[in-house]
Amino acid sequence: MTWLTALDRKLLREVVRLRGQITTIALVLASGITCFIALRGTYGSLEHSRDAYYDRARFAHVFARLERAPEAVARRIEALPGVALVQTRIAKEVSLPIEGLDRVAYGQLLSLPASGKPATNALVLATGGLPDPRRDDDVVVLESFARAHGLAPGHRLPVVINGKLRRLRVCGLARSPEYVYAIRPGALADDPRRYAVLWMDRGVVAAAFQLDGAFNDVTLRLQPGASEAGTLLALDRILEPYGGFGAVGRKGQISSRMLEGELGTLGVLGTMVPLVFLGVAAFLINMVLARLVALQRTQIATLKAVGYTTGEIGRHYLALVAVVMVPSALLGVAGGFALGRSVLRLYEGIFRFPELQFRLSPGLVAFAVVVSALSATVGASFSVRAAARLQPAEAMRPPAPARYRRGLVARLGVDKLIGPAGMMVVREIERRPLRTLLSALGIAGAIALVILGHFGVDSLSNYLESMFRREQRQDLAVTFARPVPPRAVRELAQLPGVIKAEGIRAVPIRVRHDNRMRDSVLMGLPSGGSLRRLVGRGGREVSVPEDGVLVTKELGKILGLRPGDRVDVEVLEGERPRIRPAVAGFVDETVGLQLYARAGTIARLEGDAGAVSSILLSVDRSALASVERWLRQSPRVVDISEVSADVQRLRDMNQAAMDIWTAVSITLAACVIFGVVYNNARIALALRSRELASLRVLGMSRREISSILIAGLAFEVLLAVPLGLVLGRAWAELFFSRAVDQETFRFQVLVEGRTYLMAALTAVLAGTVSALWVRRSLDRLDLIDVLKTRE
Amino acid sequence: MTGFDDHRPQPPAEPAAPPGARLAHGEVLACRRLRKIYRMGEVDVRALDGVDLSLHAGELLVLLGASGSGKSTLLNILGGLDVPTSGEVRFGDQDLTDAGDDTLTEYRRHSVGFVFQFYNLIPSLTARENVALVTDIAEDPLDPDDALAMVGLGERRHHFPAQLSGGEQQRVSIARAIAKRPPILLCDEPTGALDFRTGIVVLEAIERINRELGTATALITHNAPIAEMADRVLTMGDGRIQSERAVTPRRPARDLRW
Repeated sequence: MTWLTALDRKLLREVVRLRGQITTIALVLASGITCFIALRGTYGSLEHSRDAYYDRARFAHVFARLERAPEAVARRIEALPGVALVQTRIAKEVSLPIEGLDRVAYGQLLSLPASGKPATNALVLATGGLPDPRRDDDVVVLESFARAHGLAPGHRLPVVINGKLRRLRVCGLARSPEYVYAIRPGALADDPRRYAVLWMDRGVVAAAFQLDGAFNDVTLRLQPGASEAGTLLALDRILEPYGGFGAVGRKGQISSRMLEGELGTLGVLGTMVPLVFLGVAAFLINMVLARLVALQRTQIATLKAVGYTTGEIGRHYLALVAVVMVPSALLGVAGGFALGRSVLRLYEGIFRFPELQFRLSPGLVAFAVVVSALSATVGASFSVRAAARLQPAEAMRPPAPARYRRGLVARLGVDKLIGPAGMMVVREIERRPLRTLLSALGIAGAIALVILGHFGVDSLSNYLESMFRREQRQDLAVTFARPVPPRAVRELAQLPGVIKAEGIRAVPIRVRHDNRMRDSVLMGLPSGGSLRRLVGRGGREVSVPEDGVLVTKELGKILGLRPGDRVDVEVLEGERPRIRPAVAGFVDETVGLQLYARAGTIARLEGDAGAVSSILLSVDRSALASVERWLRQSPRVVDISEVSADVQRLRDMNQAAMDIWTAVSITLAACVIFGVVYNNARIALALRSRELASLRVLGMSRREISSILIAGLAFEVLLAVPLGLVLGRAWAELFFSRAVDQETFRFQVLVEGRTYLMAALTAVLAGTVSALWVRRSLDRLDLIDVLKTRE
Repeated sequence: MTGFDDHRPQPPAEPAAPPGARLAHGEVLACRRLRKIYRMGEVDVRALDGVDLSLHAGELLVLLGASGSGKSTLLNILGGLDVPTSGEVRFGDQDLTDAGDDTLTEYRRHSVGFVFQFYNLIPSLTARENVALVTDIAEDPLDPDDALAMVGLGERRHHFPAQLSGGEQQRVSIARAIAKRPPILLCDEPTGALDFRTGIVVLEAIERINRELGTATALITHNAPIAEMADRVLTMGDGRIQSERAVTPRRPARDLRW
């Protein structure tokens, strides 16, 4: 080892001596790097797959539905400034009465141009080929649906197209950039078994819906730098006479929107979570080095006295940081890669890209390592500077006894109650309030992490509870392809097992107030209905007024509405009537942006006898299956959703992901708490062993001196618990406001008592383990040896 | 032990000192009107109050004084560990009075060997490594093994400080101080923490270094009999030099008794 200088050897031996502390710090740092790489890596991988896919498949920027327009209108759309590609097509809802499936599957039928290669939203074929133009029954099926049913090219698939049951021949399985996240409109969670997307030759689809030479759906790709907002307005103007329902950008495209929402969540998590670890690691490094420097005052002075420069001494202590960094970086990168891959695997089942691989870019790794090295260096810098600046002569003198004062506790006269041993604990805390606070903050951060890892489950339960117990109380929701006359409600009400049936009318509208505008839905609710309830502030039920509308609170905010204001409502179908109802009040709703009116108001508006677009049923549980069977016979029904099944699926899906997060967050939090308490304990023990040994000599028992040390540590943990609970709650709120699309979902952040309890228990348990360790070391305290040592 | 002849050193001696480091009358280190006031807790302490002193090449100077007389402060300033509040310190023709940290570090690194009362060995390094700590950064050092051999510890070089007796630790400290071949050796109560017998062994080592290497040595102690091994004795009290006398003849360290 001759290539090592004496100073290098000093470093090596210190590393060996401090291995426990170095290991705990390395674990905390590695946890930070792991989270950063896993979350940011997943983010980057999804983003990369998204960009590559969207680009390769020419994913559209603008989407519009309309009643019907002649193909020639496409030329006017192409002429709009900034438009690069235009693809018109026919899009229709179909249902798939698949054998063995307990409920009807819902499908989106899309036309493919004769070439099979649309200008936008190209298909990526997984197996098979495009429809044979000589056949009229070839269909390309969305891969996720086909796999869920074991469909392969050559298989037959029953589809009800425009009321006629046809048995189509599957010719290929495909993925599409429009259906990365394939969810049935109106559903809460994706269900590959019950949502199909089908592509057929345009001629075949046009013939089935009498749309020859016409289209009812158009998608546009814009030139780089083109104004999306401008294009949306211009397109709406062109499509208005043809029954346009309002064009949307990618933000309004459900698959793209869900993907962006998830990326947002990952982005926020990937920043917030690693910050906790890096902050704690910096603090721990600072604490351990500060103590090392304090203990080595004389050594540092000696090094200076024999001629070592300030820089050499600074580098010597900074090298300890490098020693911590190397295993942290290796462990963190490896851990991040493993965790990232399993997180991405979770996503694979939800977002369907042609290719999704965990990509670990060298830039990301370098960034993670550099950021954590920086935080470690910042943590070290105070102590290293103190070490380097130590005046050699100053250090030669023994440090003056630490200064204590009669603090608040003594002035309050509590000292007489707790005795001198108690006062030792109190004065130690009073003397180093910042260290106590920082330790408590570190532990609090870990507690908050546990809450952050688990509050999603609580909030989701609460969300589902309020949505389905409070707002949507039906067992089945039946949706029709076109509005049906009101007698359909009475027909369904008479089915055996049906307890109650209520019709709902949903009309696509555009609402304006001042200069603000939003596309929304006007819902007509029957008076005296009980299956769909509207809830106002504080959970109070509100009823729809005779005239005027109720507005979802969130939409009210977007439009800047106050009760009594009048809004412009333009119906986006039929004769496109316009009305100016008054806002009667606001509704607190968990999902969507809607307006509510009495069913009669809408009937007058539409000029019909009160048609309904969906019917809510309350059904006796034992009759559920037979009612569904009956409904499946009706060609007009496009969707039947059973609320409890939806809820269950959503719970299952989230539970799987949440189990992972809960386990990961508890493990990592325990790491942090142990790191903080263990390091604090070691430092306290090293700094105070002489004092404690003196107490033993004076006749105190082991138990008594242990409790002096442990009381200080316990105080930090106990201070951290309330701090951590408050911090966790605040983080959850912050996380939510940043990561979750407030316009779609309005979860109330809710942390249940048992989550708080779990977080607090994690802290107390990890703290107790550390305390037991302290106790063990104190039991081994060699009195003579400690008292002989001159520090 | 050989070479402990009983004659005065020959100033100026061998060329171990940096060029230009010597004053006209063989003065290696000198200070004039030195004052040092510092705050200890909440009290002002006047540690030095106008000290004049010179250290000549090859001589062994003993600074005698009770605890609190200011001798450690003086040694710290002479050794470049501390700076005076006022006054002047010169090393050869170099003015150290207002020297910055870099200059003082350079001075300590190459020109001064320091022996501490409590040895100040690095506990995590062996005897040899403690010496190597200095030879790693010096310009023309002794081999660490040779330095340890000079203090009679060649056999114990792989022992850690905790495995050495107090006297042995102090001798390692001396080996560490002289391994850089400094022109000046400063010893702060080198026997203060040792018993009589061990103290004598340590003093013999210092005496031998002074003789054989011709290193100008200043030794501070509160122990009056030790003054008899010096060429010159300064007595300190209340932060001043109170008396000065030459010792003739110098007594060998082994003949000292206290």
